[in-house]
Amino acid sequence: MISATDRISQFAEALHAAQGEIAYLDSWDELWDFAASLGDDVPVVSPAAHGFLRRGELPDADDPLRSIADRLVGITVAALGVAETGSLLLIERAPIDRAVSLLTRHLIVAVGQDDIVDDLADGFRWLADQPRAAAYATFVTGPSRTADIERSLTIGVQGPSRLTAAVLT
Amino acid sequence: MIADFKERYERAVSDPDLRPRLLAFQRSWRQSRDAQVARLEQRTERSFDDLRRDFAAVKDSTIERLDDYIDEFRANAEAAGATVVELTTAEEAVEYIAGVCTARGIDLVVKSKSMVSEEIELNDELAERGITAIETDLGEWLLQLAEQRPSHLVMPAIHQKRQYVADILGKELGREFDPDNIPAMVASAREGLRRHYLAAGAGLTGANALVAETGSIMVVTNEGNMRLATSLPDVHFVTAGIEKLIPSWADAERQLQLLPRSATAQTLSTYTTCITGAQPGKEMHIILLDNGRREMRGDDMIGAALRCIRCGACANVCPPYQVVGGHTFGHIYTGAIGLVNTTFHHSIEDAAGPQGLCVSCGACETVCPVAIPLPRQILNVRRRATESGHAPRWERWLLRAWSMPQLFRAAMKLGAVASTAARAVGLVHRDHIRLPMSRRLSWRSVPAIPAQTGSDLIGDRRPQPTLASTPAAGTTVDLFAQCLANRLMPDTVDASARLIEAGGANVNLPPNQHCCGLPAFDAGDWDTARTMARSSIEVLGRTDHEIVTPATSCVISMRDHWPQLFRDEPDTLSRANAVADRIHDLAAWLDGPGRLPDGCLERRVSGSWTAHRFCQSSNRNDPGARIDLLVERLTGETSLPLEEPEVCCGFGGLTSIAAPEVGQGILERKLDCVAASGCETLLTNNPGCALHLRAGAVARGASHDTQHYADYLAARLPDNPPS
Repeated sequence: MISATDRISQFAEALHAAQGEIAYLDSWDELWDFAASLGDDVPVVSPAAHGFLRRGELPDADDPLRSIADRLVGITVAALGVAETGSLLLIERAPIDRAVSLLTRHLIVAVGQDDIVDDLADGFRWLADQPRAAAYATFVTGPSRTADIERSLTIGVQGPSRLTAAVLT
Repeated sequence: MIADFKERYERAVSDPDLRPRLLAFQRSWRQSRDAQVARLEQRTERSFDDLRRDFAAVKDSTIERLDDYIDEFRANAEAAGATVVELTTAEEAVEYIAGVCTARGIDLVVKSKSMVSEEIELNDELAERGITAIETDLGEWLLQLAEQRPSHLVMPAIHQKRQYVADILGKELGREFDPDNIPAMVASAREGLRRHYLAAGAGLTGANALVAETGSIMVVTNEGNMRLATSLPDVHFVTAGIEKLIPSWADAERQLQLLPRSATAQTLSTYTTCITGAQPGKEMHIILLDNGRREMRGDDMIGAALRCIRCGACANVCPPYQVVGGHTFGHIYTGAIGLVNTTFHHSIEDAAGPQGLCVSCGACETVCPVAIPLPRQILNVRRRATESGHAPRWERWLLRAWSMPQLFRAAMKLGAVASTAARAVGLVHRDHIRLPMSRRLSWRSVPAIPAQTGSDLIGDRRPQPTLASTPAAGTTVDLFAQCLANRLMPDTVDASARLIEAGGANVNLPPNQHCCGLPAFDAGDWDTARTMARSSIEVLGRTDHEIVTPATSCVISMRDHWPQLFRDEPDTLSRANAVADRIHDLAAWLDGPGRLPDGCLERRVSGSWTAHRFCQSSNRNDPGARIDLLVERLTGETSLPLEEPEVCCGFGGLTSIAAPEVGQGILERKLDCVAASGCETLLTNNPGCALHLRAGAVARGASHDTQHYADYLAARLPDNPPS
């Protein structure tokens, strides 16, 4: 067991190594202001994030992916953070839950500071205990990337090109 | 259709860009992967070897009880709404997928990366049935646009250069791309693939693991395309080999400790996606494919290959892969694993072509995250290829001739006469002759054959006085001169004898020595190998002395190959083992029973030499592999650092003859490192390597001299040792 402070700094270090960013925010209100300051249009929010924020634009229920295809800023919520790897565990059973994390260019993922676990083994233990969560669960580690053209690492391919973990303190 | 092997080989060796690009890739991967593994070892406080053996044990026990785990997986996945089908052949898998598509009126499938779909050549098969499959992984998409196949398990388009990519993207998207603007080319995937995601009726993915306890699939990706392909269409196909089963999520985590670090040298890939069952209102079809896997399981030499998690690490350290790339070094599966599993997923014909490219250096096994004994498996498959008539005829003839001591000696005598003539007219430089050679062979010179053999020299001389008393003092030691060294490097045989004698032992040279069988074993010709091995067992079995040899490779051959050759002949096997138990590599001897004291040899010029360590023994951490440390200890001199000291020199037995471009490519990589070390002398520890390294150095006019370390050490024996 490591201390909560160490765990958060490990998480930040691993996330940076995966080209992700981190913001420490006090409240959902602060998170909203942060997201809104990033672009001109209103951030799109996942249903899970909307439950906390009570604002922002939800993907269209009938055609969630098409409705937000090229939006700039999106907000969603992670069930867990993983200090070892800088990963965020997203539980997204239906396409409407996934739309924001799939397609927005700058994805903000809220995670409670107490929800950061030590390592990936803890993350999988949590998943093993939550059979419903594993319907569609993704450990996201940084923005999407490829090195398929001459091994040149390029950030931002078919998923987000920026990823910010918003640690709620 | 895949072009035949010869054509693929020619294409690869005539591409001037391939080698430097793959070399840069291998070097940078090695660095980042080693750093990742070091961090993992530190974090877990366990060695890579322990971690990989643990996970290999998980894979082995799962594969042993495969049917139970398949049943458990199926029950759980079906309870979550998926359809699970277990299919035997590639054709059945294709028909199943095509059948579901046809029944649902689906004519477009978007694909995330799946090696099983490559294995069954799904795209072509679907196209014949009027169904279009679009690859959505950027690398795979670029290959599809160029009508090519992956040349690497995880970096499929590693062989394509940016100018080429710009061309094919330009054609597909109808506008120009700047080859130097890679981000813009990458961004085009989003644009080029969007309409396909939206129009597709089905998405297809592979699975890195099938988790039995919940019936889940786990898929590891970086681009985000897999999540799109499983979110937009209404049908999700999963194509996975039955060997991908693991019992639990805890095992999934164990796999993830090893997979991304070994594959792309990432701590974790960007997306690790776990899916259980069909999503609301959608269908999920999980195809569990056998296609030769159960046959592999039943084969005690090959079964361990089913542990493979498709990380590609075996290709990333493979010297011949660096020279020819995956289109040549492999079939549909590339790298070392491809030389093994192609036999079972495709055919022995498909597996046979590249067999001769493997130099048996053993590097692949050192980085395999599931500890598959790939070098041994490749030699076994090579044997099957040879026995089913797939070895070149010249190779069989050469080995047969080699196995006949009289013929071998006569040919060498003839060579010695010619060499003496060449020496007389000044053609010999550093014991090698530069002959006018064809373009394919111009990179090498040939060794001048000395008039006297190693055995002649030993018979004609006075023993070296004792320098120090060692545990072996007073005993008699048999010297195994080795066929190559005895004829081509007689001084090395003499030097070895003197170093043994310096430790107070008497040297006996058993008469009628020839060859341990290694060249034939390596070439897959086990019958000829047995003939050669039997004669060596006979010759060396007449005494119970300890046996020492300057030929490191023969030690491995006796200890490792003989038990395989004679596993069905218990009597020969016990005599073979008795000899193998007595054999010592000279370097290990000088650190062991014949251990000479620190600093007992003359210290001459420090910092003027470096050492290439014989790859096979280095990669196995055999005693004596670190000849640099031995020479430093005995002389007090220090060595110069050499990059990639344990990477193969390119000799590889018959590889450098059968595939000269491969021998040349690997040798040039080595000689470039040697040149960068700034050494005057290059030391090495295996006669074949010494000859190959010298052959190349003389041909390129390199300034350094190449020596077997025994020669270097014996030259530093004091003339008048203290009594």
